[in-house]
Parts: sequence; structure tokens; C-alpha cells
Amino acid sequence: MTDHTPRPDHSTTDGGSVAPPTAARGIPLVAVDHLAKSFGAHEVLKDISFTVEPGTVTCVIGPSGSGKTTLLRSLDALEIPDAGVVRVGDCTVDFGEIHPGPKRRLDRRTRELLATLRSKSGMVFQAHNLFAHRTVLQNLLEGPVVVQGEPVAQATERARRLLDEVGLSAHVDKYPFQLSGGQQQRVGIARALALRPQVVLFDEPTSALDPELVGEVLGVMKTLAAEGWTMVVVTHELRFARQVADQVLFIDEGLVVERGTPEQVIGDPQQARTKAFLRRIMEPI
Amino acid sequence: MKRVVLTAIAVLLAVLFTCALPSSAAPPAPAATTPPTSPAVPTGSAPAPAPTRAPGIPATLRVGTEGVYPPFSYHDEKTNKLTGFDIEYMDALAAKLGTKVEYVETPWDAMFAALETDRFDLVANQVTYNEERAALYDLSEPYIETTGVIVVRDGDDSIKSLADLKGKRAAENLTSNWAEVAKNAGATIVGVDAMALAIDNLRQGRVDVVVNDKLAIQNYLATRPDPGVKVVAETDDTSRSVFAARKGSGYMPSINKAINELQADGTTKRIYDKYFTPKAQAPSRWDLVRDNAWPMLRQLIKVTIPLTFISFAIGLVLALLVALGRMSPNPVLSNLARFYISVIRGTPLLVQLFIIFYGLPEFGVKIDPFPAAVIALSLNVAGYAAEVIRAAIQSLPKGQWEAAETIGMNRVTTLRRIIIPQAARTAVPPLSNTLISLLKDTSLTSVILVVDLLRQAQIAAAPSLQFFTMYLMAAVYYYLACLVLSFIQSRTEVRLNRFVAS
Repeated sequence: MTDHTPRPDHSTTDGGSVAPPTAARGIPLVAVDHLAKSFGAHEVLKDISFTVEPGTVTCVIGPSGSGKTTLLRSLDALEIPDAGVVRVGDCTVDFGEIHPGPKRRLDRRTRELLATLRSKSGMVFQAHNLFAHRTVLQNLLEGPVVVQGEPVAQATERARRLLDEVGLSAHVDKYPFQLSGGQQQRVGIARALALRPQVVLFDEPTSALDPELVGEVLGVMKTLAAEGWTMVVVTHELRFARQVADQVLFIDEGLVVERGTPEQVIGDPQQARTKAFLRRIMEPI
Repeated sequence: MKRVVLTAIAVLLAVLFTCALPSSAAPPAPAATTPPTSPAVPTGSAPAPAPTRAPGIPATLRVGTEGVYPPFSYHDEKTNKLTGFDIEYMDALAAKLGTKVEYVETPWDAMFAALETDRFDLVANQVTYNEERAALYDLSEPYIETTGVIVVRDGDDSIKSLADLKGKRAAENLTSNWAEVAKNAGATIVGVDAMALAIDNLRQGRVDVVVNDKLAIQNYLATRPDPGVKVVAETDDTSRSVFAARKGSGYMPSINKAINELQADGTTKRIYDKYFTPKAQAPSRWDLVRDNAWPMLRQLIKVTIPLTFISFAIGLVLALLVALGRMSPNPVLSNLARFYISVIRGTPLLVQLFIIFYGLPEFGVKIDPFPAAVIALSLNVAGYAAEVIRAAIQSLPKGQWEAAETIGMNRVTTLRRIIIPQAARTAVPPLSNTLISLLKDTSLTSVILVVDLLRQAQIAAAPSLQFFTMYLMAAVYYYLACLVLSFIQSRTEVRLNRFVAS
């Protein structure tokens, strides 16, 4: 029994690099086609299609319960959609052909396919989900060393640089409980990057934070965007979306209502539902 | 998953094998083949058995005896050697038969179960002849005859004969002949483990009467300056003590012949006089404590503690497997695990020990006492700890599984590296409870012939019948051992709590 993730050949990779992977412009890095998912009778995703160009930032906005988190989790196969195709890089999964048994049981071939899909992306959770019994550094090594088999010295070197980049060099040997919420979330981001993903998925990364801690996390995300990481961000931070996003998706009731640049979707929404949502966000009272 | 299961099984087998070795090297009872202890035994003075073995008798005769029933079968206070009337008589008999004797010490209430499951060949323990026994076992001719006596508290005049027992409470060994006599006389039987405890109950007014062997009672009264009880009458019928073997053993012709020879050459009389003339006073309580401090500590270190830790280690591995089975999406596995837990938790440990030790041999699986105890205790621990482990695993946030999934870990690696280390923190306090209970539960293994700390206390108490003193001493040892375990628990908790806010 081995981990399903294919192991990169570490001898040929640039050991210490923490830069985003390069990909040819013009071909979408992520393609989502007619994705649908129901929980019981509730259709969370009805029919979702979009693409993400390499090196761009896509922000997904929408009211709560609109399906945006389910959409993001589907890209990492944490949810198994009922139908539709997800492609990340060179890995394509047709969820229409996957039929989980009772209690989400999957056959071995499917598990391996999903593991390959997961290996293309890194996930940053709303509640960070750091491994509480591991230090900051160990949290970053778990994936590269244990799963991907990267030599410890090389992985440690990379992890330290990543922690430096998210401004946590002083905290490498601390346990997660010793950090503030913002610091914990930055470790979560570094942990996702440590896997050298082609795309980084953010699930409302600042929603669980105290307001004064939101800035440091968004700051790190801005830096990553500037470095050229491909990112898909589910967020309520419209200012961030306006400043950083190349593409904004407004999702409501399981459908993409509007899709375009931030100027189009946030600055000049065409659909009534988008307008109503933006008004509620910007003028809550 | 398969590899984890295989590893667990391999560990299990390895531990079982290693613990099977010392127990077969050191027999369960401290008494091994004992040459006749008294120099006066006429035919037994030669160390080697007579060259001609009597027909039908095996080269080594395994003999079951209590070891805590003075003056018939007990351990000498000074030498700790197994001795007593039955032992010395058995040695003399064996010399006549030209065979070697290997004693297996067994509590009386397990004696016939052990005989039937081939733990030994013959019982030498004042087995009283009756027709039920004659129907089930090969019984020898009597080697000693005695009557029963009726014992009451000093100052109690309400009982003068068997006829007065109607409606009274009598303390007796449940499977003994005397319980039968008292019951037939109309008394209510209160079950006790040993004659000395019966007398204690009588003295303390919990029961009204004790009916027991005249010789045993005489011996007891002789060692007590102020017994507080008195003999008021003898029972009418004599009780005849015989040797018992499994049906069809073929031993009895030779044994009966030897019994007659011992009678004829005066050996029986000589051994009888040695044990049934009033003795000097028993040693003081403090002598007893001093003399037994080391033997009891030795059994604690050699038996009780290894038994506890080996069973706990195997039990934890099994418990994890059961917990995983219980959480499995496979309905067969989860129901099997559920059933296992309900059976283990729903039946007494004592019964589980009995089934493993005395039940399995019925199906041809015979296991030595120590490994049998390890098996029963591990299975028991697994049943209880599985639910603790399951609760601890399920108490972890789902996000931990998801985070591991997103970094590409499979379920086994996630369990090993992410889930179990964190679940351990919540599981340690309840598991420590299980461990501490287990330490004390090992005392039950004496029924399957393990000579543990408590059994050693019984052996030490038997000659002088000072059960209270020796049990108190055993309690002190158990308590000290539990203190050490509690200390280990708090150290472990500190270690596991390093990654959470205090």
C-alpha cells in the first residue's frame, strides 16, 4: 500500500526554488465543464463551467449557500460531483463516470485518479486545519517528505524559504496553538505551496479571522499573485478581488451568473442578482 | 490496510510466542517434582524412582492439588516448599508406583475442570468419595477416613447436631462434600474459597455454622490460641478421601495396591501422626509479613506486571483494529466489531478466562496458563479500549482528515501520522483507567493456575490461615504498583499535551 500521489523526480527539479511553476500561456490551466452536485434533494451545483488561465487569479464570489465552497472543494476532489468534467493541468477527471458506493466508497483506480488530481493543487482552508501535533516546519514537511518522498534536507530548505516568504521565519519550531489566527493561516498557505501545486485553492481564507488580522493574510496572497501563482479564491473580500483578480465569477443557486474582469462583474454588474448581492455586501445596514 | 493488519498479527504472534516460552520453562506452580520431604518416608528415601513402574502408570504423574489447604496441601512457612499430608502421602505412593510426581497447583473450584481438560492426571486433595463423583471419575480406594465436625461460635448453644442446621447459614466451599452435607441438613450455603475464610465468617457472625473435615478443623484450632469457635458435634457418616482420575485412566488397580501396601507397612500411620498431632503455635503476623515480603514482590515483578503490560500492549493493537472495524463503511466489518465489543463487555472476565483455559481444550486447543491469561486479558482490554479509541478518533475535527487528503496522504498514513498521535491525547486518561483496572484484574488469573501476586498471598496465608494479613499486604503491593502507573500516566499526559494550549 503506497500513497497514490505520483512522486516527482527530485533529482531533476530545482531543489530550493519556491517560485510558481511555469506553464504555457494561452492554454487554460484549469477547465471546469458542466459540473453538477446535489446533497440529497438539494442541488448545490446545477451547471458550472469556467476556465482559469495559468498565472491568473480567479475570485469566486456569491451569497452563502450559493455553492462556491462546494465548487472549490470539487476541484480538489474533497467533494465528488455527480456529473461534469474537471481538468487541472494534464489530469482530467470525468465525474460522470465515478459512482461512489455507500459511504463514499471508491474503487482503487478511482482513488488513484483523484489523488493525481489533488496533487495538482494545494488547498488553503477557512479553518486552516493545521496538524496540531506538528510544529510549523513539520506541517510543511508532511506532504513533500512523507507523501512525495522528497529528501528531508531539500524539503526543509524549501520550507524555510516559504516560511520566510509568508513572514514566519521566527516561528518555524512553534506549535500551531502558539500562533495568532493570521499566522496560522499563513502557515496554511505555506503548507499548500510546499507541495509545489500548479494551482492554489483558497476557501474563504480570511472569514474566520479577527478583522485586524485579515490584512496580513491578504497581503501574502497579493504577493503570491504578483509572483505569478495561479490561484482560485472563494472570498467575500471585494476590495481584494478588485485589486488582485484577473477574473471574477459570481455564483448563485448553483449557476455562474456573471463571469468577467473585476471591472465588469464588480464595477458594472449586468444581472439583477449580482447587483443585489453587491449592494448587500457594500451596504450591509 | 492489509499491511497494518498483517503487522498487527505478526506482533501478536511474536508476543504470544515469547510469553509462551517463560511459562513453559517455569511451570505454573512453584512446586515441581518434589522428592519426599520427610527423611522418614521408608520407600521414598532413594532419590530415583524404583526401576519397575507399576502397570498402567505413566512415567510422570501430574497431580493436581490446592496448595492452600493445610494440613493436607500447603506451602511450608520456612522453605516455601509444597507439603502436607496429601503431598507426603502422594510422594510415598509415587515411590511405590515407581513414577515421578509433578504437582500442578489449582484452586479447588477449578480442580475437576482442570482434571477433565488434561492439565493433570490425578487429584490428591482430600477428594471425598460420593456416588456422583464415582459416576464421573475413576476413584481410588480411600487412603484416609475422617468424619465431619460441626463448628459454631463460642457461646452459641442453638446448634448441637446436624438436625439443628435447618434454616441456619453455613459457610462452605461450594463444590465440597461438606457443602452437600450441610445443605442436606437444611442449611443455606454461603460460598467461600477456603476453610479459613469459612471460620472467619463464622467468628464474625456472618454465618451460624461450618461443617468441615475433622482433621482440618483440629489442625486449625491447634494453631489458634483463641479461635472463638468450638466443635459441637461430629457428623454421623465418615468421609472417605480418595484419589480421582479421568474415566478410563487405568491407574486405579496399581494405585489401590499401593494404598494397601502403605497401610500395611505403617507409612500411612506415620504420615498421619506427623500432620494430625497438635502443633506449636503459628508464626506471628510480623514474621509472616517479613518472610513473604520478597516472594510476593517476586510474583508481582515476575508475573503480575509482565502479564499486565503484555496484555495491555496486545490489547491496544487489537482495540485499534476493532475500533477501525467499527468505523468501517463495510457493514460486515462494523457489525462484527460491534458484536465483539458487546460480547466482551457483556460477559464477566472470570468467565472469559475459564472459556479460554478450560473451554478451548474441549476443541483440542490447550494453552499454558500464562499465555492463556495473556489471550483472555488482551481480548478483554480490546473490547473496552476499542470504544475509547473510536471516541478519541471521532472527536478530531474532520478538517484534519481533509487537510491530510489534500496533501495526498492515503487513509492509513493519515491514521498513523495525523489522527492517532492526536487521538492519543484524548485517549490516554481513559486508557490509563483500563490499564490500572487490568493490573488488578490479573488477580483473577489464579483460577487458571497462574501464580500471580494474589495467589502467592493465598499460598503464604494458608499454613497459618492468616488471610487478612496477607491480603492486606497484597493490597499494599497492588496499590504501590498502581501509584507507579498513575505517575507514568501523568508524565505521558504532559508529553502529549505539549501541542495544545494549557
